[in-house]
Amino acid sequence: MRNRRVVITGLGAVSGLGLNVAPFWDALKEGRSAIKPFDLPIENIKMPLAVTVPEYDQSKYFSPDELTLLDRFSQLAVIAAQEAVDDAGLVCGEAILTDAAAIIGSGCGGKHTDEATYDQLYKQQRSRAHPLTIPKGMPSAAASMVSIHLGIKGPAFALASACASGSHAIIQGMTMIQSGMIDVALVGASDAPFTYGLLKSWDALRVVTSDNCRPFCKDRSGLVLGEGAGMLLLESEEHAIKRGARIYAEIAGCGMTSDAGHITRPDVDGIANAIKNALHHAEVSTDEVDYINAHGTATKTNDLTETEAINRVFGKHAKDIAVSSTKSMHGHALGASSALELVATVLATHHDIIPPTANFTEADDKCNLDYVPNQSRKQKVNVAMSNSFAFGGLNAVITLKKYTN
Amino acid sequence: MSLQKIAEVIVDTAGCKLEDVTPEAELAALGVDSLKAITVLFELEEAFDIEIPNEVIPSIVTVDDIISKIKEIQG
Repeated sequence: MRNRRVVITGLGAVSGLGLNVAPFWDALKEGRSAIKPFDLPIENIKMPLAVTVPEYDQSKYFSPDELTLLDRFSQLAVIAAQEAVDDAGLVCGEAILTDAAAIIGSGCGGKHTDEATYDQLYKQQRSRAHPLTIPKGMPSAAASMVSIHLGIKGPAFALASACASGSHAIIQGMTMIQSGMIDVALVGASDAPFTYGLLKSWDALRVVTSDNCRPFCKDRSGLVLGEGAGMLLLESEEHAIKRGARIYAEIAGCGMTSDAGHITRPDVDGIANAIKNALHHAEVSTDEVDYINAHGTATKTNDLTETEAINRVFGKHAKDIAVSSTKSMHGHALGASSALELVATVLATHHDIIPPTANFTEADDKCNLDYVPNQSRKQKVNVAMSNSFAFGGLNAVITLKKYTN
Repeated sequence: MSLQKIAEVIVDTAGCKLEDVTPEAELAALGVDSLKAITVLFELEEAFDIEIPNEVIPSIVTVDDIISKIKEIQG
């Protein structure tokens, strides 16, 4: 029996490029990066660059009472989730939402809450932890808060696979709809990693650049951390058509593998197999793929390995595929990145515009694909893929198709 | 112990009006649910440098119950 088709009918994005999808997409089309000097009031941090959500006033979105329970990663999740629901033309409290699922990934969870408490306990030698530390900081807090704020009463939970958390959450929602378990799923991820301990920990990994995020370039030197949330409203095709919803694209397939190898070094086989599986699951041949939104972290190892995997899977057609890393613009927002990147890929498919790899200088000799340097491209996108490869070797690839009924 | 401080903590946590925080007022009626109650107790422990044992929580219904318990703990 062929699975039910799943379509995307709503999008939400909070990122360094703005508080909703419109400024996000405008910037991607313009090749404009949100990377800026690190100016957060956190002392003793060596990172010179960051991507933070601009002009965000939490009091405009939440009451003081609500904020007592909302870690920053939950706030960003709720704002993006609300946008995706509004964009899909749904209203909080209606039956469609009540029965929906909410599957929200996160790479790091409620770090602001946890670290504030640990600071009080360890550094200030306080004897008590704030009583809301657990419900506010738990990794599933964003899933709970999205459920509470939007009145979603179907399956709701968090999903963690580091930088692929968003992709895995989206895939989980897709497969639940395909199976007939649910009709509607709000899926995505949220991360707010700008806390002292987490920044120090990322710094220690020596993968954060002090120059700029330049994916696939000869002079690339690592990633720039970001924060944000990406959310998508998924529906069965039948459900979307029945209610007359606007359909952005079909989410046609997924591929998931694990490297079972090194904890941080990506593996060509694992990545290539995830891409192959995503093609097979979507019933798409290699020469049909027009665009790949790459994982493209701008680390030496990722970009080489990802390029090699794409060449291996697509063979001669690899050079005909537009491959770009939008992390060059919205930064690496950990698990949220993968969700933001799928939002970008959906919009590329919907508008036939391929966002570029920004900050591009000169291609690495060993990175031999079309990385769409610096300027977006008007080009037909019938089939697109989004790659996400997490630390720990957890790979997730999603295939989108332009929707045709 | 400052009664004013207790009232302020309840107002800050529950968002109720200061004039409603009378000794006989029930915490639930002021908007102090179970989660807010533990926040109130935390803030009072911090303010008065005391330990309020878990065992006394079920017996705290009104503002006056809080006042009495804190007096008792402070001896």
